[in-house]
Amino acid sequence: MFNFKFNSISDAIFMQSSNGQYHGLYVWSVVLIVLLSISITFLVYKVQIKNIGKKIK
Amino acid sequence: MIKKFIHQFASPKTYLFQVDRAYPYIFYTSLSIYLVALFWGLFLTSEDFVQGNSYRIIYLHVPASFISQSLYLAMAFASAIFLIWKVKLSAYLVRSIAPIGAITTFIALVSGAIWGIPTWGTWWAWDARIISTLILFIMYLGLISLHDSFTDNEKADKFLAILVIVGSVNIPIIKMSVEWWSTLHQTASITVTEKPAIDPSMLYPLFGSIIGFTGIVFCLVILSSKLQILKREKNKSWVKDYV
Repeated sequence: MFNFKFNSISDAIFMQSSNGQYHGLYVWSVVLIVLLSISITFLVYKVQIKNIGKKIK
Repeated sequence: MIKKFIHQFASPKTYLFQVDRAYPYIFYTSLSIYLVALFWGLFLTSEDFVQGNSYRIIYLHVPASFISQSLYLAMAFASAIFLIWKVKLSAYLVRSIAPIGAITTFIALVSGAIWGIPTWGTWWAWDARIISTLILFIMYLGLISLHDSFTDNEKADKFLAILVIVGSVNIPIIKMSVEWWSTLHQTASITVTEKPAIDPSMLYPLFGSIIGFTGIVFCLVILSSKLQILKREKNKSWVKDYV
């Protein structure tokens, strides 16, 4: 259950499935979109809170 | 009695001080759970028999879809509290949740579209589940625009609350769309009443990713509500002391 399912880093990047298709592009692009969207949202709110704090002061 | 309780514990000032204390604990715990669940799901689970490795998108898509609908229900609940008991904080929360709901719905739509390419052979289909989710996304954007188009915040809060409650009819439609209509989107693999159709080795990281992502999004709602409170209460003396 807790063994790596890929033999190497390149296997994990390309994620070739048993039907021969490479799914890494789809999986990693979703990972990137999710992490970027969330990080940017955090950053935007932090900056906006900082700016309004300065204005109020 | 309920009214007294709500008014005592739901003042923006009390709320801000309480969430400030809880924020780091929620954030770091949720982030840890989410990263562990993602690592587990992406590297340690076996490939799906039908979908191959593309099924691993489930660990990102399902939490986003789940939270996008849950946030709307939270908005509807807060709207009802605002309309019934006139709790100011509820109105602030409704406005703060909307952009976070839009972002999570955007993630759900985009991740679903990318998942659709290897699984369905197309990134988009005019399917009941996808259309109702797109409507949810448009509704979030519309609610934000509507609120910001008013100069009178109190009027805006009231209109927003009413519209949110009316729009909540879309949530059961999203949920039941795969049962009511013949859709390309699969039916729910996890239900409250039945045994999950997913193998436990794939299910545990899925639960982890849902819990972790929910916590992270909750932190975003905290930040968004903090910004909203600071904007709306900026002339109050306690806000000057707070910043």
